Amino acid sequence: MSVTHDKQLQELLAHPSVWRGRSRAALETLPTGFPALDAGLPGGGWPRHGLVEILTPELGVGELYLLLPALATLSRMMPARWCTWICPPHEPFAPALATHGVTLDRILVVRTHLPLWAHEQALRSGACEAALAWLPRASARAIRRLQLAAEQGRTLGVLYRSQRFAHEASPAMLRVMLEPLARPGVHGARVSLLKSRGGSREPIELMWAAAAA
Amino acid sequence: MHPRAYRLVFPDPGPKKTPSVLRVRPASPPPRGPGPEDNQAALALEPRELWIAAHVSQLPLAALRSPARAAPLVVIDPDDHNRRIVAADPQAQAAGVRPGMTLGAALAAAPHIDAQARNVTREQELMQHLAAVAAEFTPLVSLEAPDGLLLEIKPSIRLFGGLRELCRRLRAACLAHPVLMQAQVQPRFTLAPTALAALAAARAGARCFITDSRQLPARLKPLPLEVLRWPDEENARLAAMGVRTLGELMRLPRAGFAKRFGPTQLADLDRLLGRRAEPRRRVARRERYRGQLDLDHEITDHERILQALAPLIAELEDFLRARQRGITALQCRFHHYRAAPTVCTLRLAAPEADAGRLTALLRERLASIALPEPVRRCELRSGPLTTRASVSRSLWSPGERGHAGAGEMPALVEQLRARLGMNAVYGLCHVPEHRPENAWRAKRGTDLFIDDKGNPASGGASSSMNKAVPLFFFHRPLWLLQTPQLLAARRGRPLYRGALEILGGPERIESGWWDGADVMRDYYVARDGRGARLWIYCQGENAATREWFLHGIFG
Repeated sequence: MSVTHDKQLQELLAHPSVWRGRSRAALETLPTGFPALDAGLPGGGWPRHGLVEILTPELGVGELYLLLPALATLSRMMPARWCTWICPPHEPFAPALATHGVTLDRILVVRTHLPLWAHEQALRSGACEAALAWLPRASARAIRRLQLAAEQGRTLGVLYRSQRFAHEASPAMLRVMLEPLARPGVHGARVSLLKSRGGSREPIELMWAAAAA
Repeated sequence: MHPRAYRLVFPDPGPKKTPSVLRVRPASPPPRGPGPEDNQAALALEPRELWIAAHVSQLPLAALRSPARAAPLVVIDPDDHNRRIVAADPQAQAAGVRPGMTLGAALAAAPHIDAQARNVTREQELMQHLAAVAAEFTPLVSLEAPDGLLLEIKPSIRLFGGLRELCRRLRAACLAHPVLMQAQVQPRFTLAPTALAALAAARAGARCFITDSRQLPARLKPLPLEVLRWPDEENARLAAMGVRTLGELMRLPRAGFAKRFGPTQLADLDRLLGRRAEPRRRVARRERYRGQLDLDHEITDHERILQALAPLIAELEDFLRARQRGITALQCRFHHYRAAPTVCTLRLAAPEADAGRLTALLRERLASIALPEPVRRCELRSGPLTTRASVSRSLWSPGERGHAGAGEMPALVEQLRARLGMNAVYGLCHVPEHRPENAWRAKRGTDLFIDDKGNPASGGASSSMNKAVPLFFFHRPLWLLQTPQLLAARRGRPLYRGALEILGGPERIESGWWDGADVMRDYYVARDGRGARLWIYCQGENAATREWFLHGIFG
């Protein structure tokens, strides 16, 4: 009898929605394109659906380079869903994105004074593979809504926020902090996982291939 | 008898048979030949077409009929200076008024008549209503101005369960139509193998239900000549020759007839008897949905307006479903007591026919509209109907098992546009240009779902757009500023949040002399004090006039 119970318990624990603090949850993931980061992230990549928060001190520290390989993979899948950019701080430079492998006719840019609403719609609709948003401020409640919408629409939601919010609690599934490397002659960044379900605690250093002068 | 002339030889009625249309055998084209014998053979074949004609007698009266007018009604022609009477209702006729009289004569006979000018627009409108009813039975409906309608119904017979059933339903549909019922339009229906024969019989008021071409000449024989509506002088000439019925007309020698009356009349006669094909122009239905609703109370609340609109939207959905069509534009008008109507127009990225989706979009759109006064009446008008690709719903939700939904993206785009405006949402595309600000373009409107070759954008690895992008863009920044930002400089060195460290460059971009936006810039890659990589350029001939600009940020 105990063997059957044990087996049942194992089956229960193997369920993807059960997460125990020590174990890495079985997640549907997408390789980031950086082997070092893949090794550190739970499940070996970005979650396929859920909200990822990326905290940066500044624009231009590699916040897009970090995500580009994944975006390129997503936009090249057949059949491809879309990638929506909500309130990007500047114009995404189309030809440069194209040379990084992102399919341009699957990108949608939204300019609005209601970024939270637009982001929730994009996440919930199921039309997008990924929805990126740049929000000046967002309450924990709003982030929780976005997280739920991303799960419902099976979309990867990415929230870009300032490093100032690193100490606030957030319901996002994964929180990543990005800092530029200060060493001369190096174009890269240090990635620390502020919150992850069983990810690495050590900062991970990544190098960007583009614009290496 | 002249050897070249021929008389139409009527075939024997023969033994009684089932109506020929019920035979399943496909009709073969009749053999063609010059002589009367061949012609007879052609007529003996089963009809290739079957036409129902609907003739509305007294259409001018029907167009002016209204509950308010009870007195004997006569219709006069406003263009005629004698003001002749075009039509008179039975009461007026009983009083001695006849069509063709002048108004003066009619008034002398019956001073209490109500004389009205003819309303041609309304007459056409009634015929259009009749055509709309007829179009439910066959796609080939054509109008014969001013008061006739023709339906080719041979292909529809089986669908409606036989000829008699079809005719019964057609009659019932005409009687049940609210507008036609109100105007008391009761068309007379006839059936014949040729359009003109059916029409002639309907105009004469004769009973005619012929499915066999061979019966045609015999049944047409007694009809008066006027049913062909030939010009008056031709009718007068024929009358002078002693020809008063179609039977007498058909007995005239063919060559002589052609010589005296010309080929037009001969062709008419041939069409009447089915010796000559008669292609007809079908009525193009320009369909729009239009519905309105008077509200019991004045409403100011958006949510209650939507509730009030719900029956109209449901009606619109049924309307579109029945036609398998969708709409890309919908207009909502809210009428107020004093203020001009508030108009709210919804434009859709893809044809839509679903009531739930339309309601959701209207809700978004209404949220951004301020009503000057309470709403008393709502009106819903659709744009042109477009073909809608029917999409079967997937078993999987989007994103599950590699499934990508087909309809979700247009739906999302519409929802965003409805709330945020048309220009809030755009796609990106590459333009072959050296100036960075011209190397990309925003795709707006319906352009969004079309790639640069005009095909529907499919995305994925097969997309053609990326292959045309030169590789040097790999080392260009991912962010481009909308307008270059002027940087302060100290001793010729640019400043941005502190001194900038130049990492690479210069790269000269010199282009655009042909369109007036001539640029000559030296681009550098720089790093600021906080570690962000920037794309800056300087322009200016010498050190004194040199200016530094920030143009891009490496993501």
